[in-house]
Parts: sequence; structure tokens; C-alpha cells
Amino acid sequence: MNAIEVHNLSHQYNGRTVYQDLTFTVPQGSICGLLGKNGQGKTTLVNILMGFLKPAAGSCLVLGENSHSLPPDVRRRVGLLHEGHQAYEFMTIAQTERFFRGFYPDWNADIFFSLVKKMGLSHRHRVGNMSCGQRSQVVLGVIMAQNPDLLILDDYSMGLDAGYRRLFLDVLHDFAAMEGKTIFVTSHIVQDLEQLVDTIFFLDQGRITRTGLKEFLTSFKKYVFFSNTGTVPLEDEVIKGFERRRDRFTVYSYQDPDTVTEQLTRQGVEVRDLHRADMTLEDGFIGLMGKY
Amino acid sequence: MISSVLLKEWLKLKYFFTGVLVLNIGVCLKIYFEIRGLILSEHPEMIWYEAIHLHNIFFRDIMFFPLATGLILAAAQLVPEISRRRMRISLHLPLHRDLLLVLSVAAGLLFFLIAAGIPAVFIYFTMRAWFPYEVSLTVFTTMGPWVLAGILGYLGGIAVLLEPLKTRKVFLAIVFSVIISVMYTGVGYGWLSPAMPYLAWLAPLFLLCVFSSGHRFQQRGA
Repeated sequence: MNAIEVHNLSHQYNGRTVYQDLTFTVPQGSICGLLGKNGQGKTTLVNILMGFLKPAAGSCLVLGENSHSLPPDVRRRVGLLHEGHQAYEFMTIAQTERFFRGFYPDWNADIFFSLVKKMGLSHRHRVGNMSCGQRSQVVLGVIMAQNPDLLILDDYSMGLDAGYRRLFLDVLHDFAAMEGKTIFVTSHIVQDLEQLVDTIFFLDQGRITRTGLKEFLTSFKKYVFFSNTGTVPLEDEVIKGFERRRDRFTVYSYQDPDTVTEQLTRQGVEVRDLHRADMTLEDGFIGLMGKY
Repeated sequence: MISSVLLKEWLKLKYFFTGVLVLNIGVCLKIYFEIRGLILSEHPEMIWYEAIHLHNIFFRDIMFFPLATGLILAAAQLVPEISRRRMRISLHLPLHRDLLLVLSVAAGLLFFLIAAGIPAVFIYFTMRAWFPYEVSLTVFTTMGPWVLAGILGYLGGIAVLLEPLKTRKVFLAIVFSVIISVMYTGVGYGWLSPAMPYLAWLAPLFLLCVFSSGHRFQQRGA
């Protein structure tokens, strides 16, 4: 069964086409990361999935229900982290717990308080007086205490330092380990997703590509070589992306080293000492999507 | 769920509610001392004559306070929700969205009626101290349209703040302003009394504006 199903989704924003015939599924129990450069419509997609935007065409099913008319029972099963760790700033920690408790029959107060306890703040501390990191813990506590079946996290890493991001990842790992739980996450810190997701969606110019994390990190390759010529590689079927720092070139490709060398030579690029280098997900993301 | 929604509305409104209540009571005290001063310094029969024959309303100072109360409470409820798109938190709660709006508006109206109702009762007893029962009773028929203006100001404030389209915002603001201005037409005690039942029955219809704006608010990115 799929936790999320998107069929032929099209959407325009201010006359600009954001998506055209976007189709993808997120299977139940998977941990999916949505990657794309700024402005490619990641948050718009989350907004459509959560019913905050009505798409121009196509259908979006979340836990089997139409996303722009999700019944309360389905919303109860979806933990949603809004961009910027949205929380009611006029509430204290205790009031936040009391407020949300009333909506969720499976509410687990112990989980909520164990997460906020790490900050060492009084339960009477107002959310509005917290740092972004502290607020993120309260929001995470709220979501985890709901015991949702599907987690949708819109840029959870925004404004968080390394410690809070790691804390988030720890909790998400524990959540993902439970049976049948699905996570759909976007983040601008790509290297964090490498530690979490099993499936990646690349969103680029209205198109979406799905790949397994391991499969991507194995099939997509990073090559480094040196060259003194002014000729730079051109992106084509073999060379998917390149970076240059003085005489050190990095190219990205799905092909083996011989094919890459041959293609670079054909392009008139002098290739010296081409070898495969370790590639992180962030390298792969830049290699495939470009820097801007 | 209902207690959770009411808790949230109380947390948002408590300081503003207390503020407008104190302000309203302050105006009531001013009215009390002014009437007392008039009665003590002038011939009481002249004051009665002014009230009964000249329709001089001695509590006119409070006329716009119910409207201001409605607008303040609407802003206090909605601004924390729509700023930085926090309304999405509520819209994702496992509760029917119209029910959520009904509960929020009901809570706001309850606080409004307390903040606007206490001054009406206070002014009634002020008038009762020095005027005949019939004149005192007209406090309610005279203040009725002002309180209704406050209710419409509250509903209009909510509808305008929720409305995502600027042209509709302006349209709603104009419509509500015109209807509210009707409540301030005429002079004298109980001036609008004959029309009040009809105006009161029409008021709930303006709830539809709130639902309509709320629906568009959610569908257009909340």
C-alpha cells in the first residue's frame, strides 16, 4: 500500500508552471527524501499534500484520501512539521501539551515531555521565548506524541544547528524503526538525509525522479581529474555535471571512467589523472542538479 | 477537543479581553460620574427633560466602544494565527474545519458579549439610580445597535483577516462598514428598536462570510 500517491499533478503559481503531469508514489514503511534546488516547488508539493493548496489538475492521495479534503481521521494519522517549526508562541510548554492532547486519542505525554526535558526548560516557559532549536524540540515532541503513521517534514533542518539537527535525526531514526511508519521529508541540509532516507526524489524543473539511496550512491559517480586547458566540460548524456577549482575538475556521471575520459577527450578537455572519488549525497545532488 | 480549542482562544484573548473590559468599565465609570455630577449640579427635572424630551443620551461616550471591542478581539484572535502561517497548525488538527471556525468564533463572541454586556448592565444601573424605570430600560434598546455593530465588527474583522484575496478583502471591508454604519444612524433613546429584530436576525448570515473566507484561506495556501 502507498502512503502517498500523486497522479498527473499539475500546478501553476503566478502564471508559472511549477509541475506538469507529476506522478510518484511513496510506499508505506519507506523513508523518502524530496530534494530539489530552491524554488523547485518542494514546499508547494508539501502544501498540496496537506491540503493547503488545491492543484490545478491531477490527484493527490494521502493515506488513500484526497489531499485537499482530508477527513479529520486521516489528519490524525499524519504528523506534519510545518516549515519554520511553526508553533503557537503564546503557549507555554505545558499549555502546548494540554492543547494537543485533546485531539489525539493515542497521545503519549511521556514522549512529549522526554523530548522537551532535554532542553532543561520549565514547563511554564513560553514557546515565543524559545530559540529556533528549542522550539523545534517542542514541535517534534508534539508530532511524536501523536504517534502518527505518516510523517511529513517540511525542511525540518531550517535554522537548526548541528546538535539539534542530530537530535532530530535520532528521533526520526527511532520512529522509522517502528513497523509501518512512513516518512516524507524535505531538507536543505542534504547530508542529513543521507543518514536517514532509503529513497530519494529529485525534483527539478517540474519533473520528479525517484531512486533508491544506495542505488544512487552506487550508480552515480564522482570523478576527479586535473587539467590546465581553458576548455571546460560540457554537460551531456555522459557528463551530468562538473565543478572546477583552479586546475582541479570534478565531473559526475553514471558511466565508467573509460567512457568519461573518452567523452571528455572528445570535448577537447585535457584529462590528467582521472580517478573515482568518494561521493556524498550532497556531492551527488550538486552533480545531478547543479549549484543554482 | 472543544476544551482544547477554547483553551487556545482564551490564551490568545486573555490580555486583550481584560484590556477591553477594563477600558469599557473605565468609560462606564466616567459616564457614572458625569451623570452624578449633572444631577448634583443642575436641577434634576432639567436632566430628565433633556433625556425624555430632547433625547439627550448621557451615555453616548460608550457608543463606539463595542465596535472597537469587536475589532480588537477579532485582531487578537486572528493575527497570531495568520502571521507566519500559524493557522496551518489548526487547519491540520483532526477536527472539521468549519467546526473549528465555529468554536473559535463562538469563543470570540462569548468574550465580546461579556466585554460589551457588562457595561450595558453597569449603565442600566447608573441610569436606574436617577431616572425612571422606563428611561433606564431604554439603555438596552439604545445600546443594542451599538452592541450589534460590535458583533458585526468582530465578524467583519475575522472575515477580512481570513480572506486571502485583496479585492475581496476591500469588498468585505466596505460591505461590513456600510452595515455597521446603519447601526449608528438616528439619534435618541431606542431609535432603531423597531428594526432591531430584523437586524439581529440578519447578523448570523454574516457568519457565512467567515466560512467563505476561511475556505478560501485554506485552499489558497493558508
